[in-house]
Amino acid sequence: MHYPWWHVPFLTAPMLIAIVAVLHVLVAHYAVGGGLFLAAETTYAYRSHNLRYLDYLRQHAWFFILLTVVYGAITGAGIWWTIGLASPLATESLIHIFVFGWAMEYVFFVLEIVSAFIFYYFWGRLPTRTHQTTGWIYAVSAWISLVLITGITGFMLNPGAWPQRQSFWVGFFNPQFLPQVAARTGGAFLLAALYVYLHAAFKVKDPALLRLIEQRSARPALLGSILVILGGAGWYLFLPASARAALAAASVLNVLMVWLFAITVAVFAMLYLGPYRHPGWLSPGFALLFLGLGLAAVTTGEYVREAVRKPFIIYNLVLGNQILPAQMPRLRAAGILQEGVWPRAFVATHYPHLLRQGRVDQKGLLGLPQADQVLLGEVLFMHACNDCHTSSSGFSALRNLMRGWTPEMVRTVTEHPERVHFFMPPWTGTKAESRLLEQYLRTLVLPSPVELPEPMGGRR
Amino acid sequence: MNPADLVAPASPLGFPAPYWFLVLLKVAGFTLHMGPMHLWTAGLLVALLLTRRPDAHARLLGERLIAQLPVVIALGINFGIVPLLFLQVAYYRVFYPATVLAAWSWFAVIPLLVLAYYGVYLCAGDLRQARSGGLRRLVGWVAAAAFLAIGLAFVNGMTLMTRLEAWPDLWRATSRAGAPLGTALNLSDPRLLPRGLMMLALALVTTAAYAVVDAGLFARGLPAAYRRWVAGFALRLATIGVVGFAIFGSWYAFATWSAEARGVMLGRLAPLTAATAAAPALPWLLIARQRRGPTPGAALATGLAQLGVLALNATSRQVVQNLELARFLDVAAEPVRTQWSPLVVFLLLLAGGMGVILWMVGRARSILRPVPH
Repeated sequence: MHYPWWHVPFLTAPMLIAIVAVLHVLVAHYAVGGGLFLAAETTYAYRSHNLRYLDYLRQHAWFFILLTVVYGAITGAGIWWTIGLASPLATESLIHIFVFGWAMEYVFFVLEIVSAFIFYYFWGRLPTRTHQTTGWIYAVSAWISLVLITGITGFMLNPGAWPQRQSFWVGFFNPQFLPQVAARTGGAFLLAALYVYLHAAFKVKDPALLRLIEQRSARPALLGSILVILGGAGWYLFLPASARAALAAASVLNVLMVWLFAITVAVFAMLYLGPYRHPGWLSPGFALLFLGLGLAAVTTGEYVREAVRKPFIIYNLVLGNQILPAQMPRLRAAGILQEGVWPRAFVATHYPHLLRQGRVDQKGLLGLPQADQVLLGEVLFMHACNDCHTSSSGFSALRNLMRGWTPEMVRTVTEHPERVHFFMPPWTGTKAESRLLEQYLRTLVLPSPVELPEPMGGRR
Repeated sequence: MNPADLVAPASPLGFPAPYWFLVLLKVAGFTLHMGPMHLWTAGLLVALLLTRRPDAHARLLGERLIAQLPVVIALGINFGIVPLLFLQVAYYRVFYPATVLAAWSWFAVIPLLVLAYYGVYLCAGDLRQARSGGLRRLVGWVAAAAFLAIGLAFVNGMTLMTRLEAWPDLWRATSRAGAPLGTALNLSDPRLLPRGLMMLALALVTTAAYAVVDAGLFARGLPAAYRRWVAGFALRLATIGVVGFAIFGSWYAFATWSAEARGVMLGRLAPLTAATAAAPALPWLLIARQRRGPTPGAALATGLAQLGVLALNATSRQVVQNLELARFLDVAAEPVRTQWSPLVVFLLLLAGGMGVILWMVGRARSILRPVPH
């Protein structure tokens, strides 16, 4: 509420973050794992004097650059672009805590760009050793950038001791750091292999070369699967209590976790029984299925990883409704419409008579005509609820969720949302403001679509 | 409504480094970003026009510019991260509100950039394969249009960041229950057109300087006649750019700056303003001296001179930005909690990274041989 809240009908603004983030990680993991693949396999091809393999690797490098340097880089910056629009307070906090983490990552981004282009455009012209070194410079730089961003994203889920010891390094090396680095590194190995299989299945006509690619990519893929599982286990173990509880309580997350586990097992089995034990299975269709499953797993994993942060955006630091917990006492005393920059501006614009010596008259709020109370309730909804809910239709629409609710239920959820669902942020406004929100929410309530018979013995 | 009331409160976390350091990195990053940005904005347009000329030299220059753009764009995008990063740290109190008001145009940069970038790759690939590819050339024009749209989104966001007096009306006109719909555009800002045109004119100078650098340093294997032609063309292009910069820059400074900004920039900071205004003359002179054909040393000097021009421009823009914001907030008045160890690690990594880059570029250049067209 210190920043204007971007109202995105149907989706909610934070869902745009999710969309861009998922689109990015589909390629970002390949950017890391693919770099390792190119570095390692080029080294192998040079040492074994396998010119056909070298030729294939050059083709793959072009495919790699087109995907990662263009699409991967833009969507990566796009995440950062989007979070500032859809979650400005959390972005403000993160950027103040980790600006130099991002600055370090920038250094490795530039290293990646330069090394990738030199590796590809000077292929066949650089001395062998220099060419290999350049490839490894890319690979190491890409992995380090993975480590750097993981320190920041892990912090969002579990900042560890940072609230007590506000040090960059304490925040960076948070409890989630190692598990997520392991999981993401595993994901990088795995997805890289799946992209390689896809590219090779369509491009390589030589059966012997195809078998070589199958075999050599299978081991890192299997290792990647193991790292994903181990990292995922560590991720779960180091979840905050509320995150673990949210994982257990939300049925959609239950389904997604099962789905994620099933996909991982399926991919592992396919890898082991296919390219690892029986090379020669690889076909375009099989490769597409492989990659499709891998991308589905990554997408699912990202969604789950983000969803369990509720009721926070940054655990214990920024609530899901863009409020710092430390601000709650003041907000509850003075009100959102008073302390929020843009809500207060709204009151000043539309109801200037409610301002007394620059302060919002809380008692006067409930004296407004009904329509005005509803409007102010909608203002409060935008700042307090629209992070996670749309109003009438779309993502987690309240109109659907509150079907059949009684006025008492609506009042309860406005006064104590955290008692309705523990993963909802607590109400941070005044009592009068909760009444305004209640007025608005009641306009959304539809009757229950189910007509239950009256219990025997008459009405309760 | 007092627009200052819409400024976000200061973060309790404070600045992670002294304000001057944050702004130094912002300006330095923007300087590096401007070069590639100029090339993909004006350079691509010029290149596409050149490829349609009957003159073989013109077509060759156009093809070379387009072929090099993928690398230029990749570097430029990465260079753009730094100014955006430090902009958000130092100016978050006005940056986030402004971009939220214009959220959709700001968000549109992402898909537009993907479209533009792949368009350039397609165009470059077509030219490299020496096929006519009318459709791919069309893609080049679409990419150019996308880059212009991106530029417009940026100018819109950046000018809106300092035009707080426009926020109340834009907010009321484009919001629902006080929540912006993200459809605001700062098109009524008198600075928008002259500032955009000034930057476009300067981009022509950058393109001219780049053409000379390319001919003098990277195209030495091509016929001397081609390199002489490039020098002549660059001079004409730079002349157009310098004249345009003078006209639109004057329009921007004298017609759109606030009285306060004008008072300072033409008062105690007049030397900076004068230097910024006159700076493009230096690369122009260097280009003129190479009319008979660029030489490696002079070409390198031209590139460095243009980099200096961009640095001065970025510095002046930063000063003006601060002056425009001074009416609403003191951007430097925040507590500083310097994060010394990560700052030092960053600087060390930056130095090390630069060393590695120089090594790679040096190795590549040492085996770089002239490639005939």
